[in-house]
Amino acid sequence: MSDAKHDDHGGHDHGDDHGHGHGSQSRFIQHHYDDAQHQFDSGKFGIWLFLAQEVLFFSALFVAYVLYRVHHPEIYSYAHKWLDVKYGATNTAVLIFSSLTAAWAVRAAQLGQRRLLILCLATTIVCACAFLCIKYVEYHHKWKEQALFGHLFDPCVTPGGEELITKKNHCDGTKSSVDYDMAADKPTSGCFEISKLDLDPNRVGIQADCQVTEVQISKDSKGKDVEGASRPITDRCDDELVDLLEKIEGGGHAGDVPTHETAGAESADEKAHHQKFPCWRPSYQPAVCQDLTDSAKRAQGQGSKPTAGILVEYGDDEVHRDVKIKATCKAPATVAPVADPMADKANVLAEGVKAVDPAREISTHEEFELESLGPPPEHTSMFLTIYFAMTGLHGIHVFVGIIVFIWLLRRAIRGDFTPDYFGPVDFSALYWHIVDLIWIFLFPLLYLIH
Amino acid sequence: MATEEAFPESLKTLPQAPVSEPDFLHVTKGFKSWAFTLDHKRIGMMYLFGILFSLLLGGTFALLIRTELWAPGRTIVGPDTYNQFFTLHGAVMVFLVIIPGIPAALGNIIMPIQLGAPDVAFPRLNLASFYLWCSGATLLIFTIPFGGLDTGWTFYTPYSLETKTAVMVATFGVFLLGFSSIFTGLNFLVTIHKFRPQGMGWFQLPLNIWALYGTAVMQVLATPVLGITVLLLTVERLGHIGIFDPTMGGDPVLFQHFFWFYSHPAVYIMIIPGMGVVSELISVYARKPIFGYRFVAYSSLSLALLSFLVWGHHMFVSGQSRLANMVFSALTFTVAIPSAIKIFNWVATLYKADIRLKTGMIYGLSFLLLFTIGGLTGLFLGVLSVDVHLHDTYFVVAHFHYVMMGSTLVAFLGALHHWWPKFTGRMYNETVGRSCALGVFFGFNLTFLPQFVMGARGMPRRYWDYDPQYQIFHQLSTIGAFILGFSIFISVVSLLTSLKRGKIAPRNPWGGSTLEWQAPTPPTLYNFEKPPIVHELYNYDDLVEVEPDRWERITDAPEYQAEAKKEAH
Repeated sequence: MSDAKHDDHGGHDHGDDHGHGHGSQSRFIQHHYDDAQHQFDSGKFGIWLFLAQEVLFFSALFVAYVLYRVHHPEIYSYAHKWLDVKYGATNTAVLIFSSLTAAWAVRAAQLGQRRLLILCLATTIVCACAFLCIKYVEYHHKWKEQALFGHLFDPCVTPGGEELITKKNHCDGTKSSVDYDMAADKPTSGCFEISKLDLDPNRVGIQADCQVTEVQISKDSKGKDVEGASRPITDRCDDELVDLLEKIEGGGHAGDVPTHETAGAESADEKAHHQKFPCWRPSYQPAVCQDLTDSAKRAQGQGSKPTAGILVEYGDDEVHRDVKIKATCKAPATVAPVADPMADKANVLAEGVKAVDPAREISTHEEFELESLGPPPEHTSMFLTIYFAMTGLHGIHVFVGIIVFIWLLRRAIRGDFTPDYFGPVDFSALYWHIVDLIWIFLFPLLYLIH
Repeated sequence: MATEEAFPESLKTLPQAPVSEPDFLHVTKGFKSWAFTLDHKRIGMMYLFGILFSLLLGGTFALLIRTELWAPGRTIVGPDTYNQFFTLHGAVMVFLVIIPGIPAALGNIIMPIQLGAPDVAFPRLNLASFYLWCSGATLLIFTIPFGGLDTGWTFYTPYSLETKTAVMVATFGVFLLGFSSIFTGLNFLVTIHKFRPQGMGWFQLPLNIWALYGTAVMQVLATPVLGITVLLLTVERLGHIGIFDPTMGGDPVLFQHFFWFYSHPAVYIMIIPGMGVVSELISVYARKPIFGYRFVAYSSLSLALLSFLVWGHHMFVSGQSRLANMVFSALTFTVAIPSAIKIFNWVATLYKADIRLKTGMIYGLSFLLLFTIGGLTGLFLGVLSVDVHLHDTYFVVAHFHYVMMGSTLVAFLGALHHWWPKFTGRMYNETVGRSCALGVFFGFNLTFLPQFVMGARGMPRRYWDYDPQYQIFHQLSTIGAFILGFSIFISVVSLLTSLKRGKIAPRNPWGGSTLEWQAPTPPTLYNFEKPPIVHELYNYDDLVEVEPDRWERITDAPEYQAEAKKEAH
């Protein structure tokens, strides 16, 4: 940025052109400097000040990171699992290597080794581009999963891979039963009272008895939706959650988890049936339908009936059609209705009773695993906001770095740099090091937290 | 004093202007020669005209506000328009006038010459800063046709996230203005470090340079935080990322912390250059070296340092912890120490001095008084219990206008008159200048002294309507504001007319001893036709007024030179 501006050679033909001063030295020494050393020292001091400015420019984001992490540690421990350490680590290695080539380029320029200089600059540019490509892949994943910031936060799956009801039905392969009115920010259909569904987030897998059907929708002459043929969706999807739970609880408790089919007992007929029809699973996003209740009643602290929806899973080869999901559920007699799953969770935690009544203490790791399968905690989008703000701003700096290095490469090929004029290479390399250094802080802060 | 001694008559006949080189105003011609100039003086001149235009704009809004407040209820506009008036008045005055006023405009022109340097270190960056300023200013002013701006100049969240006015345009403009300021500061720091001539150590630097140095440190270290804050606010408006939005878990008070982390140092970015200018004015027009030079220089730096530690005193009632409040309050009082050192040293400089009441000096003396009032009332606001009563009242308004306008703008006007002959080559009309300076002083006090009273009695700031008990104060204030505005307007008009009609200015009209008075008037393209001689700083002993408003060094007289030559042989 600044280094790109002050060291370009004079190109204007005006009276106050500052280029071309000192006969015996490089033609890039501007005449208001005493000599090459004076110009280099001034540039070096300038770029260090610029780097100090950069540190402070990023500082506010680091402060925001720390503040929200202190206030909401659960968000960070939950949401960072959306990030893939493999990509982050690769990018760290790529950037560190590019810093090496940038530093090497400075040495090559000092010694007047033009070919080596060109090679180093080109490698740096390639690494920087590779970094941005990997970053693009990561961003693309986030986009596909809708694990985005602010109002766009509408994830398809939990970090552990459990599907969630989304507001926009964006996710491939599954179709949520909830029609979400984005303008009013509330679901319009497909929501059911939680007491009827018995979606107790602490007792995953135990569900109410629901009849779920898929109804074909077509438009009549007036453009109104008309319900057509329907077919039942009777099967629940096999749930990794249930498997995990069984593993944790051990054989003794496995029987307490009623699933519609027992593993291994599936007949060939049933298997064929499963491939043909979609299956359904309950959502673990209990807050999604809360706005359906009367706001006046809610204000008085009564009548709040948090609801959740049914999530229907289609096979990958299933063609998307205009369908509507209908569900009628009977509350199981044995389980008491739960008014507010979040409040319930808080109570359980306050009393020190484990959510899953286990035969043995579950390990911290297993606890994390379980947590990452559950619904996102409140304000989870804040982690993604900070992630995107920090990596996005850093990415812009990488992009600017690429432009600066292409400019250097052009000048290096032209042979502008000599042992007594190599300032721009030095200053750009310093800028590149700070960009690298910022990433070295970002990587552990965002990817490697527990 | 030197002036009473006999001086060689031959001094009167010394050549008045160099004949060999054209001055910087005439070296090249045409629009392009200005638009793409790398000359710090031309860039400074362009800044100056931009800033004077912004001053006119901000001043117009001020007068509209004061007119509306003439009587309770609706006088000329409704409450929504009134909100836009005070917002734009604040934003234009702070970001477009006062922050760049002394450093970017006058500092750009004078600082390299005072250093004896041919230009700033990075002329291209200097031009880029100017165009960033232009872009930022354009965006800020363009909010007027695009929905206005009603958040106040502070853009406090969450209101700034909800209002339907053009916040995004304005904050992006402020982002650009911030980088303009950063690059100017960076440029000045490198110039001051690397371009000092032989024989000019750190403690031979004019105090103006010290002040610009302290300012530049703050510009480079504080402004980036404003940059990222307004950038986040822009993105927040654009994509609802939620970082300051409490409904998404964001913290609106964090915005205030970020904002004041910049904007408190910004108060010193505004005032310290004024202090530097006043040090020059007082020394030149009192014909004495500044008393306690090192203390004044160090106090500039310590103010720059302390300014980073007191931002929390803007947030005493924003839900800060009690401990934080106490720490910030205590640190706030320490700011009074370097400020008081400066005041005492300036007053000590005036003691038994040969004071010449030129326009520049009248502004300089006004500064002393206004800054004292502004600084002392700041202590009231630093006291926690008192601040709870005075917070967001007209007392605060009066306090910061005494500091930002009464001090900085007065110093700016003083500096403008002081150096006007140097960079335009024309003398302004002294009578008009002096009367306007007095008008500014009188009008200013009439505007803001009543505001202290009504603020202490509970008149809240930013209100469109008020109880009739405050009307007399508002009316006095409005009358004062018009006197103030009129005086500034006339003095600027008088300066501009001097460009055509003014007397040709000599090289050294005020008898200054710093290097800029050795340069030709107006300076040539690279400022000096021969390398300047560094004399003892603020030593006026061998300067004599050979005719009104023309000073020469005795050592420059041909007789003196011949004698010196003889001795050397």
